[in-house]
Amino acid sequence: MYKILAKRELAPHINLFEFSADEVSTKTKPGQFVILRIDEDGERIPLTIADADPGKGTIAVACHEVGKTTTQLGRLKEGDFVLDLLGPLGKPTRIEKFGTVLCVGGGVMVAPLHFQAKAFREAGNNVIGIVGATTSDHLIFLEEMETTCNHLIVATDDGTKGHKGMDFLKDLIKETKIDRVVAEGPIVMMKAVSDLTRQHGIPTMVNLIPIMVDGMGMCGACRVTVDGKTSFACVDGLEFDGHKVDFDELLARLKVYTPQEKLAYVFSEQGERN
Amino acid sequence: MEANKEEPKIGVFICRCGFNIGGVIDVSAVAEYAKNLPNVVFAEEDLYTCSSAGLDSIKKQIGKFKLNRVIVASCTPATHESLFQKTCEEAGLNKYLFEMANIREHCSWVHMHLPAEATEKAKDLVRMAVAKASYLEPQKEMELDICPSALVIGGGISGITAAMSLARQGFEVHLVDKEAELGGMLNHLFKLQPTEREASEILREAIIAVKANSNIHLHLSTLVHEVSGFIGDFNVTLQTKNSNQSERIRVGTIIVATGAEEFKPTGMHGYNESLNVVTQLELEQLLRKGELKKPKVVMIQCVGAREKTGRTYCGRICCHVALDNALQLKKLDPNIDVTILFRDIQTPGENEHLYKEAMANCVNFIRYDPNRPPKVAFKADGNPSVTVYDVYLGTEIELESDLLVLSTPLIQHEDGRKLSSVLKVPLGADGFFFEAHPKLRPVDFASEGIYVCGTAHGPKNIVESITQAYATASKASIPMAAKKIKTGAVKASVNQENCVNCNACLVSCVFNAIESSAFGLPRILEANCKGCGVCASECPTGAMQLRHYKDDQIIAAIKALFRSRKRPEPNESFKPVILCFACQWCSYAAADLAGVSRIQYPPNVRILRVPCSGRVDVLHILKAFQSGADGVIITGCLIGDCHYIDGNVKAKERVDVMKKSLQSQGINPKRLEIGFASSSEGQKFAGMMTDFVKEMEKLGPNSSTSKREGEKLVQDTGKA
Repeated sequence: MYKILAKRELAPHINLFEFSADEVSTKTKPGQFVILRIDEDGERIPLTIADADPGKGTIAVACHEVGKTTTQLGRLKEGDFVLDLLGPLGKPTRIEKFGTVLCVGGGVMVAPLHFQAKAFREAGNNVIGIVGATTSDHLIFLEEMETTCNHLIVATDDGTKGHKGMDFLKDLIKETKIDRVVAEGPIVMMKAVSDLTRQHGIPTMVNLIPIMVDGMGMCGACRVTVDGKTSFACVDGLEFDGHKVDFDELLARLKVYTPQEKLAYVFSEQGERN
Repeated sequence: MEANKEEPKIGVFICRCGFNIGGVIDVSAVAEYAKNLPNVVFAEEDLYTCSSAGLDSIKKQIGKFKLNRVIVASCTPATHESLFQKTCEEAGLNKYLFEMANIREHCSWVHMHLPAEATEKAKDLVRMAVAKASYLEPQKEMELDICPSALVIGGGISGITAAMSLARQGFEVHLVDKEAELGGMLNHLFKLQPTEREASEILREAIIAVKANSNIHLHLSTLVHEVSGFIGDFNVTLQTKNSNQSERIRVGTIIVATGAEEFKPTGMHGYNESLNVVTQLELEQLLRKGELKKPKVVMIQCVGAREKTGRTYCGRICCHVALDNALQLKKLDPNIDVTILFRDIQTPGENEHLYKEAMANCVNFIRYDPNRPPKVAFKADGNPSVTVYDVYLGTEIELESDLLVLSTPLIQHEDGRKLSSVLKVPLGADGFFFEAHPKLRPVDFASEGIYVCGTAHGPKNIVESITQAYATASKASIPMAAKKIKTGAVKASVNQENCVNCNACLVSCVFNAIESSAFGLPRILEANCKGCGVCASECPTGAMQLRHYKDDQIIAAIKALFRSRKRPEPNESFKPVILCFACQWCSYAAADLAGVSRIQYPPNVRILRVPCSGRVDVLHILKAFQSGADGVIITGCLIGDCHYIDGNVKAKERVDVMKKSLQSQGINPKRLEIGFASSSEGQKFAGMMTDFVKEMEKLGPNSSTSKREGEKLVQDTGKA
């Protein structure tokens, strides 16, 4: 059992949870993830780790309520427990001194991206951060990113805060020498960033979380096509070369269980109301 | 309702349609019943609501009772929906606040001998319409400006014809071809039947006309590199092949006339092994040059066509091409010995005379068996000798020849395949461009404003290609001449609040009507949206909705159907109540046809119109069962005939998923069914309903309250 030590609402339906998880925290590196299960009948969901403090024995994850399990998790409060927290899983992000690193984050994934950005900064990089969301209400971790990055840019799809859309990125890439890009967020965002940087030959890493089951490379549910070859996100990733990922296939695969997910949510909410 | 904040004030007009409805249904009782339904402030019966008196009454009551929703219960919406909508608009009521209940085709005409049941059903249908109407919202229709210029891709005879036709109508045309010269396939042909005119001669005249027309801008040695936008406003980037220079143009419509190429049968029948084995197209080159001196010619038909897998299609023109070329050889020298090895000679229509002429001119025909195809060996002098099993003689024959001609089909070329992804239009299983509907929209793509003609669409002869080219020019000229098009208001719309940026909607849309913003917010290109609602059903959170067919509107109708359902008395026989979702195209029309044909089926079925079977969400089905449906049947167009490409396939997939979930909810999966019917299959529709009702009668009432079993379901579906 893992106790929720703190819960903070980052945006509507997006929460940051700090779990007491001694052993996980001592081994966690940026870019890794845990698989969480709320209770014995619960679904196992992968969540990228947003912070780890081995001193306190805690890890943090951010979660956007999108379906049954994430909504259940969102209802938990400080002092509540979840049954398991399996991890850290996956390979850590490659952190080196690259020079200037551009960290592009969208939506809830800005939280785990911040963990990586911090490590890049500590490794001596000049870190430019981009925090994006569909609308200003959904921007998260602005203060944290502001502190961590040498320079921070804010953008929203609807232009309610910062730049409108991502057109500014074209100019930024032209004007600034960027040695590495790390993108974490909606698939379409990672795809757009990768398409843009490909033209300029800037190495670009993306963080992929497809549908996962065991998280240990056994089931193959999380397969993604990278450079024409099948990889397993859980053991080969989460970090992949954005210029080689088949994003369209990933998008299509992610929606395969939509009807089931929808039904599960409805049934679970009915149980909640009754 | 938000857009129309005032309380719904609903007026219901129930039509007797003379004896058509009134002769079966107790219309007065239905009108009385309607008066007591929630939000209904006025209800009346009319002899004919569609008569001028009926229409006047609608207008009068809208004014008198300040009606803000109007329902007409009468015939199928296919007949008079637009008339009633117009009437509402004349009285100042937005036409999207109008709703119909079909109590003639779907009720009185199909339950002619069961007046009591038909009356009950009519009440149900009116109640459903009233419930939905309370949730209706006024909509604004969009008007798009159409840029009056067209892009024609491909400068063969199809492209030239389409371009000339549009240019003569005064439209600006950009004619693009990848080659340095116009003409396409015709550049490689010899004489054309039945006129015996040289292809080059016809082409020369056409090219002169194109070059002389000031409305046509020629872009040769050029490829279409990028296309964005939608009907009326396509932004196109052209790229010159050699210099890699690019040019941007803006057009309102696009015609694909990229043609096809002849299949080169490498590795088959000794092709590539000897210069004495050629294809029909290569033979025409030899004929053109007039260098042919071959006394013995053998032709093999269906090489690389009509295969078991891959190119399964018939080459369609190879038979008459072979016959024509055989006759040309005979004309060159009657002593040339020509033998055609065939599977079936297919010469429909006028081409039959070629076959007769070939026989009269002593061309030999030998039928071969595709399971024992002809074998080719080469002699010391390099000449091919063909061994063939003659089906009619039942024996093997060896044919000596000094020229072997292989009849191969046309196939899609690499540039065509690339163009398909540039334009985001589909290719069929045969590799050719795939039209929106094989019968109803044969030269259109599903994406508005893009059309296809000629062999890009599949093997065709010149006449057919030209005919299709005229068809595309005509289709493209409609929006360009109108300068504006009005698009309906039944379009997808997204509620930003609930969107979780998963982009399932974008993936599920086959019309390129959804784009994603940088951080995942879907953006709807209303001009491209056709209103099928598949995206709404694929959306996991309900953020995506289809206007006029929103979840709350559909669910209101479903709940209303079962609201006043009486549980049967113990001694009463069980009468299942069945909800049928019918797509507004073929299956709804099939139900209408059942009515028109007076094909009777049990009165237990209530039909709810949806734009496409793909709009039916698992939640709608669930809601129906939870509200007390004994059975739910979804009907759509025949597979392959969906008006939205594959909405019905998606519906089928969803039904399969749902069946598993129902089981875990203690609901017999047999209670959910999906069926497909074309608009001409009224009998089939009635049959499906009859069978389904019988099945439900066998199963007995759906007694499941289907609650508190969510956890179990999740386990089951999670593993699915």
